[in-house]
Order: sequence, then C-alpha cells, then structure tokens
Amino acid sequence: MYSEKTILKHPWSVRIFHYLLILSFLPLAMTGIILYFKPLSESAVNLAMQVHVVCGVILTIDAIAYLLIGFNRVILFIKRIFTMSVTDVKWFMILGGYPQKLLLRKKVTVPPMGKYNSGQKLFGICVFTGGSVLIFTGWILWAFPHLVPGETVYLLGLLHTISAWILTLFLPVHLFLGIYMFDDFKAMILHGKIPYEEAKETAPLWVEKEIIPISRNQC
Amino acid sequence: MNVTAKTYQKGEIPGVIAINATVCKGCDACKRHCPTGAITGMFGTTHRIDVDLCLSCGQCLINCPFGAPYETSDTVDEVIAKLKDRNNTVVGIIAPAVRVAIGEDFGLPAGSLVTGKLYGSMKKAGFEILDNNFTADLTIMEEGTEFITRARHALFGEKSEHGGEIGPLPQFTSCCPAWVRFVETRYPTLIPHLSSAKSPQQMAGTVAKTYGTNVWKKSPESIYTVGIMPCTAKKLEASRPEFNAAYKYNKKNGRGLTNKPYPDVDTVLTTRDLSRLFKKLKIDLAQEEEVAGGSLLADYTGAGTIFGNTGGVMEAALRTAYAVLTGSELKPLEFKPVRGLQGMKSASVTLKDAKYNKEVTVKVAVVHNMAENIQPVVNEVLAGRSPYHFIEVMNCPGGCINGGGQPVCSSGSSWISAIRPWFAWK
Ligand code: SF4
Ligand code: SF4
Ligand code: SF4
Repeated sequence: MYSEKTILKHPWSVRIFHYLLILSFLPLAMTGIILYFKPLSESAVNLAMQVHVVCGVILTIDAIAYLLIGFNRVILFIKRIFTMSVTDVKWFMILGGYPQKLLLRKKVTVPPMGKYNSGQKLFGICVFTGGSVLIFTGWILWAFPHLVPGETVYLLGLLHTISAWILTLFLPVHLFLGIYMFDDFKAMILHGKIPYEEAKETAPLWVEKEIIPISRNQC
Repeated sequence: MNVTAKTYQKGEIPGVIAINATVCKGCDACKRHCPTGAITGMFGTTHRIDVDLCLSCGQCLINCPFGAPYETSDTVDEVIAKLKDRNNTVVGIIAPAVRVAIGEDFGLPAGSLVTGKLYGSMKKAGFEILDNNFTADLTIMEEGTEFITRARHALFGEKSEHGGEIGPLPQFTSCCPAWVRFVETRYPTLIPHLSSAKSPQQMAGTVAKTYGTNVWKKSPESIYTVGIMPCTAKKLEASRPEFNAAYKYNKKNGRGLTNKPYPDVDTVLTTRDLSRLFKKLKIDLAQEEEVAGGSLLADYTGAGTIFGNTGGVMEAALRTAYAVLTGSELKPLEFKPVRGLQGMKSASVTLKDAKYNKEVTVKVAVVHNMAENIQPVVNEVLAGRSPYHFIEVMNCPGGCINGGGQPVCSSGSSWISAIRPWFAWK
C-alpha cells in the first residue's frame, strides 16, 4: 500500500535560494551566450551586458544570503557532495540506471544512494565550485580588473568562460532530469516535500540513516 | 590601413593603436583614458578606435585590463635586420623616460635608472647612441628663446630679427606629438600658439643625419635612425612627411647621394619594443656592463633629464629663458595646483629683462593627463582669457614617464580605477 507520509526535503530557505538561482542564472546563461557570440546589434549586446551585471549581483546576494542564513546546510551540502565512495563509481558505471530506464524501458538495480545520488553530487560539485568561480571572477572582471595583474585578469576571464560553459551545458540536463523526477521537481518548486516511498526508493541510505519522524502522519 | 582616414597626411601611419576585437570585453575602462573620445562601443560590446580622432598616445593600451589594444606598427625585426647589415650605422635615439622603465622588463625594481646598462645593451646590439637628452637640451633652448621672442613682441612690440611672423602668447610646448595632433585636428586656430620647435626626437634625427655623419664617418643615407621612446605617438610623429630636414639640408649643401627623400627618424621603437629586441638578441640588460655613451651626442645637462616628467619641459625652458634674459640662474620653480583645474599646475616668475631694463612677471602652467585636464585650458585660450604666457602640455598622466610605450604595469594600474567601472553602463 502506498504511504501518504512525506519527507521535507527542501525547506523554504533552500527553495527561496533556488528560486533566486533560477531567476538569476537562466538570464545569466542566456546573456552570457549573447556576450560570447555577440550575434545581435550593439544596443542589444549592451542590454545583455546590463542584464548580465544585474543578474550577477542578484546571484551574489542570493549566494551570500543563503550562506549566512543556512550556514549549517551549506556545510552539510558540501560534505555530502564531496563524499564519494566505491558506490558512486558503481552508480556512474550504470549511470544510475537512467539510460536503461529511459531508452530500453528496463529497470536495473542501482546502488543505494544518500540524499543525493552520484550524478546529483557531481552536478552539486560543478554548481558549487563553478558558481563560486563565476561569482568571484565575474566581480573581478566587472568591477576590479585594475586591481589585478593583466595576465591574471586574462586567466580569470578564461576561467569565467570555461566555468560558465560547463554550467550552461549542464543546465538542460539538470532541467530534464529535474522535471523527470517530478516529485523532486514539485518539492523544489512548490512545497518542499517528497513522498516517503519515493525517497525510500531513490535515496534509501538517506531515509534509513538520517530521516526521523516528527509526528505520526507527517515526517 | 584605414582607407577612410581623413586626418592623416600621405605617408603617415594612420593610427598606431587598434583594438583586438577577439580580446576586448567591452569593459569601457579605456574610454576614460582617451583624450579625444576616439574609442566607441557600448558597455559589453567590442570597442573600436576612430583613427581620425585617435592621437596614437597608447593610453588605452597601457590601461586596458584585458590587453586588447595593440600597436599596428612593429619594426623590431626590421631594426634587427638593419643592425645585422654592416653597411648601416644604426643610431638609437634614447629618450629620458626609457632608462627608468626598461629595467622592469629585466627583473630590476620598477623605476631603476639603468642608463649605463642600457648603453651597454644597445652597444652590444650594435647601436650607436644619440641620447635624446642631448636634443632635449636643444629643444629647451629653442623653446626658451622662442618664448623670449614672443614675450618681447607681446610686451615691447619687438620685431623678429629675420622679419618673420612671431607667434602669439600663450606659447604652448610642442614636444608631445599627441598634443600637437590634438591641436591640429581639433583646434587648428591654436596652431600659432604651438612652439615652432621640433620635438627632441625629430631634432635628434636631423642631427644624426647631418652632424652625425662627421661623428660616425658615414654618409647620411647609410645612417638609420631609431627613436627609442616611451611613446607610441612618436611612431606617428616620425612618419610625418615634412620631417626630412636632414635630407633637404644635405641636398642643399651638396652632401646628398640620393634624390630620394629620407626621413629624419627612420623608425621608432617603444620601450616595450626595445626590451623585445634585446630579448630576441639574447641580451639581458640586467647583466650588462655599464658603459658610457661614447660621443658628444650622448652628453647632456640636467635640464634634458627632467624632460620626461610633467613640468620638466617648462622648468627647463624657463631656466634657459631666465638665464638669457637676466644672465643668472633660476631657482627651482615651485608649481602650485590651480584651483578648480585639477591636474593643472601653475607658477609665476618675476624677472628683469636686462635688454629693456623692465621687470616682467611670467605666468606659466603645466598640464598633463589631457583626457581629464586639457579642455578648460583650451577653452580659456580660445576665449582669450588665459592668464598664462607659457603652457606645457603633455598628453600622458605624469608625462612621458607614463607614456603609452612603457612596459605595461603587471600588477594592476590604478586603485582609483577600481571603483570607476562600477559606473560602467552605457
Ligand atoms: S579597456 Fe580593453 S577590454 Fe575594456 S573596452 Fe577597452 S579595449 Fe575593450
Ligand atoms: S591611442 Fe590614445 S587617442 Fe587613440 S584611442 Fe587610445 S587613448 Fe584614445
Ligand atoms: S606625454 Fe610623452 S609619452 Fe605621452 S604622448 Fe606625449 S610625448 Fe608621448
């Protein structure tokens, strides 16, 4: 029988952080592409740059605010994404069973995962490091280029471009899998909660080791 | 070459500086350093230089945090080829500001004065040396005596000894080619205010191919003159077609072998170019012996030495004028910032003109960093309200010492600029 129990996976602070991330990163990625290829008129590219700067500031404020408000969560998140084991290697060898499920409609046994599966951990590492690099380099490139030696500014520019491309290319994959795992999608976008059964299946180690009931019917 | 360029004479380099579109980030930093607004492009877009407005001063090049502007004229290999050709005597004309900057490129502390090592390195590379300080002294004497003529004409109605026209006051210095081009292209009515003296570089080229033929025992045609300057605008200056005085002089005096005009200065290397040339020839300036210049043409006074700093030309020229007028030495000038005109300093000197037995108070002003400071000065002169008699103008902030051909500061350039890009928007 299907349980109606739910687990609070994404509290409000995470959801607000994520909303602002969507609000800033999507335009940042789009304007970044425009700034890279410059396919539009001069005033359109100028507008793209202005949007890029404003969204960059929003992203920075979002990141700093979340770091201050949810410091423990950030530390826990970092710990989670950077903790890799042989299980993760096994997960990557079958790519979490997704290709089999999506392409062959076949269910394969997937190694038990914690709150984040190995793919999400890898994405988390990219978002965390790439995002920090983008924020840091973006500020130097925009506001403080004269404080930094010329060659360093050039390298920072390169780092900014590479990180931006990696995250931008990751974006469609993240969007697709995010929506594909619809319960997680709803949790992140709406109420923060995922069904207990779903969590038990996709993140058994998390449910087993970390989840504690807070009332009879509601977790 | 930009075929639509309209503000260049035939033969001139039409814009020594260009922006590499693939490197430019559109950060707008360069615009603030440009004295003429020659750089166009909205924030975030690839910027371009309007060559007709550009003075080739190179300030955008040394201040671009991304290294996007570059020099269109690079003759390092050509000079190396001339140095290797035994039929040529290659004369290096070294400007004062080069010797305090080039050491940086060879690991010496910034600002090290390396005159002896520079001479040693140049000799090793095969150059003969004509120290530009020598001709800076000539420029100073020319500008100083011209000023006396103009002042006496304005005050006492004195006529020219040669019956020629005498220019008005204030007299502007004319040794900065960026400033001269600024006047020529924007305010041609001010041209008579410019001193008629050529810059030290151009005087040096003429001296090398006239007097220098006796020093080096060579025909003028086989003397190849290389200006070694802290300045990119000097490349443009050397390419001006009227600067072939040595050719005209030699031809007139039956010393010419050819009917093909040759320039006074054949080419110009910036400080950056010279360090590249040394590196290509595997000469490590820091390790070189200190040697002397080797001829009268490498001899100079303290006046020539201060030429590269803002206020230097003025002080040196006034010293000359003072000595000529009074027969005694002028004490060092004390410049005071002029209220409301940031970056402009002034001084006044009261002296007795021995010839007319009258006291004269000479008011002088010194302007540098044209991008920020030139407009009010020009407006005053145009309106006939300028209180000054002699005005020194140098395009670059701080003078040639911070010229567009100097090594690009590798540790960031200016703390104030750090907050300005915040306002970059349009
Ligand atoms: S400072 Fe450099 S990168 Fe910035 S707009 Fe000017 S040329 Fe382009
Ligand atoms: S070289 Fe000088 S005048 Fe020309 S664009 Fe650069 S800063 Fe402006
Ligand atoms: S101030 Fe000196 S370095 Fe700058 S443009 Fe004038 S002559 Fe050249």
